Amino acid sequence: MSRLLSMLQTPVGHAEASWALLLRRGIYTSPVAQKNIRAGQIKSSINANLPLTYEQAQKPHKIGVTKAWNSWNTSNLTGETKDSAATTLEDLFIRQFMKGTWHNYLASEVIIKRRLNVVIVSFIAERQLNARNFYFLVGYTEEMLSTILKRPIKVELQTVRRKRDMTFKLI
Amino acid sequence: MNTSLRLPSLLVCHLSTSPAQVEGDGEPDDLYRSIVLEMKGHDPTVMASYQKYLCMTCEELGIHVERVWELPKCIERRSLLKSVHIYKKHFRQYESRTHFRNIELKRLTGSTADTFLEYIERNLPEGMALKVTKHRIEPLPPHIRPAPKQVEDDSTITQ
Repeated sequence: MSRLLSMLQTPVGHAEASWALLLRRGIYTSPVAQKNIRAGQIKSSINANLPLTYEQAQKPHKIGVTKAWNSWNTSNLTGETKDSAATTLEDLFIRQFMKGTWHNYLASEVIIKRRLNVVIVSFIAERQLNARNFYFLVGYTEEMLSTILKRPIKVELQTVRRKRDMTFKLI
Repeated sequence: MNTSLRLPSLLVCHLSTSPAQVEGDGEPDDLYRSIVLEMKGHDPTVMASYQKYLCMTCEELGIHVERVWELPKCIERRSLLKSVHIYKKHFRQYESRTHFRNIELKRLTGSTADTFLEYIERNLPEGMALKVTKHRIEPLPPHIRPAPKQVEDDSTITQ
């Protein structure tokens, strides 16, 4: 012990440098990272047959890491919050409208992106209907939302054969 | 749901050595000493990608990028009650993060600036805010212009 102490006190040469480094690296301090990993946890079923999509499988502490947002706009940036409430209410309305119009066919969350004046609504639908009926629904959505919200609305639609294809994990 | 980043197609500009024949008023083009782009966004990855796109565009168009710098992020936090009714001891904290990035460009002409900015603004990703500050070079107003130099004529000096 005394030899080690003496090594610390005396100026270290090249040969003894690594020893001194090992000794000096005894304590390492860092801020404590406490993320709430218990929020949004879904209780697993007995038979492990509860399907989760990729989105549902990512918990709230993964937002910004492997989970992205459903609403993309600038209304919540510092200094730009003037129309934050109006934008949020519009988003709520759009989501409710989509839920009503596409009730059985929605296979994912509705993603709402705002670029300048344009609102882009994207989601994944199940291919239950034939293409012609889908085109009607897309046109209906665009037309109705544009008239109500007074801005150009674009629908970006992706389809999937069955809702089961969206399963990422079974709990 | 993870959004897919759609990188916009790059504008290919054919730079020629001869001066371009531009249809204009015949008035001289505006000159900008510097243009500062201030970006704000929630997602740092999207911002980094947009910054890379800006620098690539500047390189293609021959615009001088003076510097790119980052300001520290701003986190706004709010504490709300976890439960709908009572349980005052248990709160939930929500936060909103804003990341910043600034780019300074030097020595642009008006036409270059207009084209560049229109291209940039059309391809601005959703969730990102852009503020453009242009510093234009103006001639001094007549009442501030220095007096014309008096030419010293040796022949007039009578002494």
